[in-house]
Amino acid sequence: MSTYDIIIVGGGITGVATAYELAKKKAGRILLLEKEFVSAGSTGSCAAGIRAQFGTEFNIGLMKRSLDKFEHLARELDYPEDKIELWQGGYLVLAYSEKEWENLKSRVEVQHRLGIMTEILTVEEIIARFPQLNLNGVYGGTFHQRDGHADPLHTTFAYARAARRLGVEIREWTRVEGLVQERGKIRGVKVNGELIEGEKVLVACGAWSSHLMKTVGVEIPLWGEKHEILITEPLERAFAPMVISFSIGYYIQQRPHGSFIMGIGPENPAHWHDPRDFDFSPTWRFLERMSQAATSVLPMLKSVNIVRQWAGLYEMTPDAHHILGPIDEVPGLYIAAGGSGHGFMFGPVVGELMAEWILGETLSYDITRLNYQRFQKGELVREPAVVG
Amino acid sequence: MRRITVHPILNFPPKKKVKFIFEGREVEGYEGEPIAAALVANGFYEMRESVNLHRPRGFFCAIGNCSSCLMVVDGKPNIRTCITPLREGMKVEIQKDKGVLK
Repeated sequence: MSTYDIIIVGGGITGVATAYELAKKKAGRILLLEKEFVSAGSTGSCAAGIRAQFGTEFNIGLMKRSLDKFEHLARELDYPEDKIELWQGGYLVLAYSEKEWENLKSRVEVQHRLGIMTEILTVEEIIARFPQLNLNGVYGGTFHQRDGHADPLHTTFAYARAARRLGVEIREWTRVEGLVQERGKIRGVKVNGELIEGEKVLVACGAWSSHLMKTVGVEIPLWGEKHEILITEPLERAFAPMVISFSIGYYIQQRPHGSFIMGIGPENPAHWHDPRDFDFSPTWRFLERMSQAATSVLPMLKSVNIVRQWAGLYEMTPDAHHILGPIDEVPGLYIAAGGSGHGFMFGPVVGELMAEWILGETLSYDITRLNYQRFQKGELVREPAVVG
Repeated sequence: MRRITVHPILNFPPKKKVKFIFEGREVEGYEGEPIAAALVANGFYEMRESVNLHRPRGFFCAIGNCSSCLMVVDGKPNIRTCITPLREGMKVEIQKDKGVLK
């Protein structure tokens, strides 16, 4: 008998949310291992946006569920509301060409069918509601009020704390060196050269996942891609929504704390498969491109000071969707990674569904299409509404 | 006036006196010295209120890092007065909030 029923590798939103949901279902002895501290990886460096304005029925449905969860998260996890910083000022998606505008409008039909009540706004309507914006080159926009922001660090801490209360053991500063299989099934993980035994192992360590999977000979098409973000000094609330363009690739939002957080997609991002290649250094080029994009869309930002700039990794897959589920070659081994820039916002719902999957329950939302074999079969899941 | 005038290493060459407005009153300082230095020399220690509890905040790091001396200067919020040179006629106000963008 193994020491643990389930070992989770990775203390980002996906790992801790799954740990919490498993513990809630009394899944037994659960150990979560994190090489640094909870939220230290892609979760903690993300831009904190949450939205249901996606392009496919599949993603809209998932994010609708995730928004439902975010809206009750503080209560569910018994964590201070003002720390989770849920802010539903909406996402305003701007179209910069006739074609993009037509595409945005066609997605709204799908969103409405699923109960996501996105509004279609003409340029005049946008100016009337958000007079701070410079709409040069804009054809129109879509706006969904329930989209917005949640603090990625505190949300993850909230899950971790709630999981601990339910008996989950979380070890930080503990790096998993490899997975261990025996007689064709998973046996556990290796830490400091020693085996920790687990009946089941979930790999949820973002861009580090494919490297770890290789230790049991499993190839997962998942890589790290550097994205940069900057944040300004705090100001009184001056602008409510996240303003975003999928074609230009920028997004800008004022957080409840008052600071403006923003990013813009990288120009020619490298695909990093080996963690030794990961580079988190901030670049001057990003600072220039971001400042230009931001002050062009929101001219009032010209007088605002930037206080910090950092880089994090998108954990990309060939179709920019998660890779979820069991690994057939190694029974007992699971993966939940590859959020492709949306790992944080999908975190609560992915945690819930992964817990169901690991425990062999009927999935309350069919996410089986996100299995790792889809790439070999050519059954990619396409999503048009993404940045970068 | 609360100022150091004699110092073992530094010299303080005479500078031009200028008038500026602090919270509606006319006060005097030296042109080009940090606004915060002129305020402290005049006995004014409160530069902003803390964001959450609205307690008085004043001169602290003096190198433009800590945001303790952010004030509204000529209507612009979040001015780091410890590193912003004083000019004739400046209107300097205690900042009570996070700063309002105009």
